[in-house]
Amino acid sequence: MSSEGARKLIVFCIALGVSIGITATTGFAGPKEGKAIFEKQNCGKCHQTQGPAKEKTFEDQMKKKGPELWYAGDKFRKEWLEEWLANPTIIRHLKYNSITEKSKGGHPSLSNAQAKDVAAYLLTLKSGAVKEGVVKEKSSPRAKLNFKKKYGCIGCHTIKKGKKKKIGGVTGPDLSEAGKRLKGDWVYMYLKKPKLFKPIKRMPVFAGIINDAEMKALAGFVASQGRKKK
Amino acid sequence: MKKRALLLAFSFLLLFVFTGGYQVWATMAKENYDWYCTQCHGLKGTGDGPNSRPSKYDIKQPDMSVTPRNHRSAEDMNKLSDEDMRLAIKDGGKAVSKSALMPPFGKTLTDKEIEDLVKYLRKLCNCKGK
Ligand code: HEC
Ligand code: HEC
Ligand code: HEC
Repeated sequence: MSSEGARKLIVFCIALGVSIGITATTGFAGPKEGKAIFEKQNCGKCHQTQGPAKEKTFEDQMKKKGPELWYAGDKFRKEWLEEWLANPTIIRHLKYNSITEKSKGGHPSLSNAQAKDVAAYLLTLKSGAVKEGVVKEKSSPRAKLNFKKKYGCIGCHTIKKGKKKKIGGVTGPDLSEAGKRLKGDWVYMYLKKPKLFKPIKRMPVFAGIINDAEMKALAGFVASQGRKKK
Repeated sequence: MKKRALLLAFSFLLLFVFTGGYQVWATMAKENYDWYCTQCHGLKGTGDGPNSRPSKYDIKQPDMSVTPRNHRSAEDMNKLSDEDMRLAIKDGGKAVSKSALMPPFGKTLTDKEIEDLVKYLRKLCNCKGK
């Protein structure tokens, strides 16, 4: 072994040792542990973790008790997921699948340590269809105008107006904090390949209506909501 | 005698097929309407769905800036031709110089489904249009 190779090996061993040490002290065990917690807590009762999407009719969708998580690794930001699983808040204004009943919240919550493990597990679930680094996660006046005035996204989704006030419709998930929650590259694919993630939904198909550049910009706008401007 | 019974049976069959066919389009149009349209146009089509009037559902948010058309109002709906409706549903409010808050469903529903929705809307308003 060359001395360069030996040095690399030593560095690797130290890094490994340090990471094991960190794991032991913080109680963070990772995806495997997370999967076990997910199963033990029966989260799968309401959440699909295996793709692809199989829904064909409104009825199929109505049978679901919660949003599918089989592409959670494409969709969510790590920090948000860890925080939300420990302290869940209301994302969809109305009860899941309902357009008449307000959501009462009350999602099951996990301890901080469990939340980290479950997040690590969920982040391993990917569709394989989302390329990273395609969308620039930033707002632009044009994209904002498209969201509000040209394509009427605001008819079903809330965003912030000013610091506190929210405006918009309530049948779609709240997007006022989407920049903390969603990844821009996923939002773009969600718009571009609507059948892949969610074949049956109340949101109309915009693929074939919004051109590619505008779609990317819209995704960037969504994925910048509620984030501090740098 | 036998011939008559046969004829009777046959006409029943015909009646069944016709009413059945009628109901199939109406049921499907209602299903689509309930799924996609009521969220804005209201459960009864009177323009007051949760997106239009969140406060009605105990959600503290302002009403939609443009009220979705009241599909039960013969007066309002009579101003529209079937073609106006077809266009609005397919390409959205902007296609008929109305608000973009009426979204385009042309890539969501087939032409046939849109055609059936137009018929269904005429049933809701109980009007013929211009
Ligand atoms: C009784 C059904 C039910 C159970 C059990 C359940 N969830 Fe959920 N979950 C939901 C619903 C409904 C939502 C949507 C909440 C909202 O939008 O406000 C949700 C949302 C989520 C989300 C965010 C998904 C998204 O697209 O917004 C995650 C992540 C999640 N749940 C993870 C879990 C985990 C982990 C467990 C087990 C500890 C669990 N859930 C147990 C019903 C359930
Ligand atoms: C007619 C109502 C409606 C309109 C208009 C609409 N949406 Fe949606 N949208 C929804 C609904 C309902 C969902 C949730 C679907 C589901 O998971 O069942 C959704 C989901 C989404 C999601 C995924 C959010 C999540 O957390 O899962 C994004 C992103 C999104 N919409 C963006 C947009 C954009 C951008 C536009 C405009 C081009 C738009 N929507 C227009 C109703 C709408
Ligand atoms: C996101 C909310 C929303 C959804 C979903 C929606 N509409 Fe509308 N619709 C509106 C609004 C707002 C108007 C009024 C536009 C205006 O007056 O400028 C409207 C107007 C209309 C009109 C009248 C157009 C005209 O020329 O005056 C028709 C017809 C119509 N909608 C049919 C439908 C049908 C059918 C569906 C379901 C497939 C549907 N809408 C779904 C919001 C919506």
